[in-house]
Amino acid sequence: MSGEFEPKIVVIACHWCTYQAINLAGTSRMKYPPNVRTIRVMCSGRTDPQFVIEAFRNGADGVLVAGCHPGDCHYVNGNMKTMRRTVLLEKMLEQMGIEKGRFRREWISAAEAKKWVDVVTEMVDQIKKLGPLKLAGRGDE
Amino acid sequence: MSEEVRGSEDIRIGVYVCHCGLNIAGVINVKELVEYAKTLPNVVVAKEYIFMCSSPGQNLIKEDIEQYKLNRIVIAACGPEMHEPTFRAAVSEAGLNPFLIDLIAIREGSSWVHYDDPKRATEKAKDMIRMSVARVRNLEPLEKIKGEVKHEALVVGGGVAGLTAALDLANRGFDVHLVEKRPTLGGHTAMMGVLNWEGRRLSGREIVRTLIKMVKDNPKIKVYTNSEVVKVDGSIGNFKITVMRKPRYVNERCNLCGKCEEVCPVSVPDEYEYGIKKRKAIYLPYSGAYPERYVIDPNSCTFCGKCVEVCPVNAIDLNEKEGEISLNVGAIVMTLGHDEYEPAIGEYGYGLSKNVITLSQLKRYLSDDGPTKGELLVNGTKPKNIVFISCVGSLGTTPHANQYCSRTCCMAALSEMLHLKSKYPDANIFYVHKDIRVYGKDEKLYWEAIDNLIKFVRFDEPPKVSIDGNKTFVDVYESTLQERILIPADLVVLVTGMTPIKEVDAVRSLFKVGCGGDGFLKELHLKLNPVESLTGGIFLAGTATGPKSVAESIIAGSAAAVKASILLAKDHIEVEPLIAEVDESKCSGCGICVSICPFNAISMQKREDGTRYSKIDPLLCEGCGTCIAACPSAAIQQYGYKDKQIIPQILAVFGR
Repeated sequence: MSGEFEPKIVVIACHWCTYQAINLAGTSRMKYPPNVRTIRVMCSGRTDPQFVIEAFRNGADGVLVAGCHPGDCHYVNGNMKTMRRTVLLEKMLEQMGIEKGRFRREWISAAEAKKWVDVVTEMVDQIKKLGPLKLAGRGDE
Repeated sequence: MSEEVRGSEDIRIGVYVCHCGLNIAGVINVKELVEYAKTLPNVVVAKEYIFMCSSPGQNLIKEDIEQYKLNRIVIAACGPEMHEPTFRAAVSEAGLNPFLIDLIAIREGSSWVHYDDPKRATEKAKDMIRMSVARVRNLEPLEKIKGEVKHEALVVGGGVAGLTAALDLANRGFDVHLVEKRPTLGGHTAMMGVLNWEGRRLSGREIVRTLIKMVKDNPKIKVYTNSEVVKVDGSIGNFKITVMRKPRYVNERCNLCGKCEEVCPVSVPDEYEYGIKKRKAIYLPYSGAYPERYVIDPNSCTFCGKCVEVCPVNAIDLNEKEGEISLNVGAIVMTLGHDEYEPAIGEYGYGLSKNVITLSQLKRYLSDDGPTKGELLVNGTKPKNIVFISCVGSLGTTPHANQYCSRTCCMAALSEMLHLKSKYPDANIFYVHKDIRVYGKDEKLYWEAIDNLIKFVRFDEPPKVSIDGNKTFVDVYESTLQERILIPADLVVLVTGMTPIKEVDAVRSLFKVGCGGDGFLKELHLKLNPVESLTGGIFLAGTATGPKSVAESIIAGSAAAVKASILLAKDHIEVEPLIAEVDESKCSGCGICVSICPFNAISMQKREDGTRYSKIDPLLCEGCGTCIAACPSAAIQQYGYKDKQIIPQILAVFGR
C-alpha cells in the first residue's frame, strides 16, 4: 500500500435500513472508499456503547452507527434508543480524547444508497485530515 | 437452547468463496482469499467455486461437512437476503444445525463497489472473512420456537373493513370477536350519504346494512359494541385480550317506540349527522342501526330518570355498570378507521357562518334519510351558488394541514356535485381546487363534471372566504388565468381529508404496532407485506393505514382476513429463534428492560425470596436487541447476536 494514511472505520448497521442501503449501493455499483468494515445487527438499538469503545480501543480510526430514520424503525422505536444512548456516548468519547468526527450516528434508509456513499466518503476524508487516532493505552504496535 | 460453546478445539470451520461468475472473481483475487482463509484459527478447509449457490456448489459444502466433520460454515458470496435459506437447507441435509452458518457479502460489500481497486477490494474481503470466522466460532445451534395457535380471531372496529374481515374469517370457519367502540356497527360508511358506486347510486347505509345483516346471521361472529380493547397480552397465535364493555343503559327489551326520546330534556349535536341536527341524550344512532336499540350517551345524560318512567317495556337501567370480557385469540385484525379533518374555527370561514359546511355535512343534507330528507336547505333556503374548496386539511394548504393527499375526497366531491346538479339543474357549482386527483374508473366523474358545466377554478395560494352578514364570498387567485376572482357563494363546502384517529398513539402502544410519519399505522412492507403490521399476528385494514375509499377498505378487510386465516389454520407456528433471553442468575430486577422493550415482551417475575427478575416472552420478542444494550447487569443476550458473537467481529477487524 502507498504511504498515505488509510483509516479503518467500523460500521454497525441495522439489518432493515442501512444494511439494505449498503446492498443497494452494491447492486447499483456505486463506488466509495474501501475503508469501512461493517457489522450487521438486527436493530441499531442493539448497539451497546461498549461496541464503539471496543472498536476505538482496538484500532478503529472512526466508528459509524447507522439505522433507520426516526419513525421508520422496524422495531417501532429501537433507533430512538440508539439516539439517546449515542448522545451520551459522544460526550464520553470526547472526554476520552476522541475527536469529534471520528464517531458518527446516521439514519440511512434502505433506499438511500447515495447517502451511504456520501456519509462514508465524507467520514473517510474527515478522518484522513485528523490522522490516525492516538489513544492512551490502546496497545498499538 | 444450547449451552456455552464447547472448547474451541472442537470448532471445525469450512470457508467457501464464491466467484459469482466474474462478479466477484473479476475483481477480487479469489485464490489469495482461499489461501488466506486457511491460515485463520479453526479453519479446516477453504475452497472456491464458480457459483456456490448452484447444486454442485451446495453439494461441495455437504460433502465437506461429512468428510472433514465441519461444524461451522462461512460462505463468502452475496448477502443473507437471497441465499441464506438456500444454504440453511443445504447444511441441514448434511446434518448440520442451520444456524451455524454465516453468509458474507463480498460481492455487494466489496467487488461491486471497489472494482477500481482490486488490491484493496481483496484486502477488504480478507477482513470480512476474518470477521465472519470470528463470529461463527461462537455461534450456537438453535431451534425454531414453536407456539400453539388459538383458532379464534379478534377484529377491532366495526366499519366496512372490520365487518368484511369478520365475515370472511367466520366463513372460513373461525370464531370471530368483533369489538366496536361506538354504540353501533357501520363506522364512517353508515354516516355517508350517497356513494358513487360504479354509477349506481347506493347509500353508505345500504352497504352497511347488507354487511351487518350477514354478520348478524352468522353464528360464528360475536359482536361487542360500545366496547374497547383495554389490555393485550400474549403474542402471535395466542393473544390474551381484555375488552371493556361500557354500559348502554338500554337492554334488549327495547322495542324502539321512541317515548324515551320524547321526554329526554337534553339536546346535543348529533354526531351521526355531523352536527347538522340535534339529538337527545337517549337516542337511536340512526334508523337500521345495529344493535337495534336505543342507547344513552353518559357524557350528556343528566340521569334525571324521565326516560325510565315512560319506558313501557322496562328496558332502561340507569345503574348498569361496565363489564370486562376476556378473550383468547390467535390473530388480530385492526380496523381503527380514521377521523375527519376538523377545520379550525375561521379556517375558510368554518364555524363563523352557517353558509360554510363540510362535504360530510352536505352529504347528510342530500341523503334521503338525512335530517332534511334529501333537500338541501341551508338556513331554510336553497342555495344557488355553491363553491367547493378542495384539499382542506390536506397537501399542506394551511399551516396545520396534513402534508399528504387524502386520495378519496376529489371523487367524493365530484360525485356530490353531479348529485347536486341532477337535483338542482340551475345551481351554479364551482370547484375551487389546488389539484384534481381522480383515478381509475372515477376519472369519468371529472369529464361528467365538465359536461355538466361545473366550473373549475385552480389555486396555488389558498382562497379567502369572507363573511359579510348573510353574504359569503370566496376570493381566489386563479392560477391558470392569472386573475383574481371573487365568487359570491350561498354555500361553501369544505372538502376535508382524513386524519389518523385521535387515540392512535394510545392504541398503537396498547397493541405494539408501529406507525409512519403521517400518524397512520404502518404496514410491514408496502408491497411485500401489505396489511401485516410490524408485530406478528396483528393485521391492519381499512383507513387505519391511510386514506382509502369504501371499496378499498373492503378489499383491505378481505386481504387482512386471508392473511389472518393463514395463521389461524395452523395448529402451531414456528418463529425464528434470534430472540433475547434473560439470565435470571445475573438479573438484578431493575426493570429497565421492561420499559425499553418496544413490544411489551418483558415482564417482571418474583423469585421465591421475594426479589424480582425479568423474563422475556419468546413469542413476543421480535429480536431487536435494544434491551441488551440497556441492561446494566449484562444479564440479557440475543441468540445469534450475543456480545461474544459481535465483539470478536470488532476485534477481528484489527486482527485481534
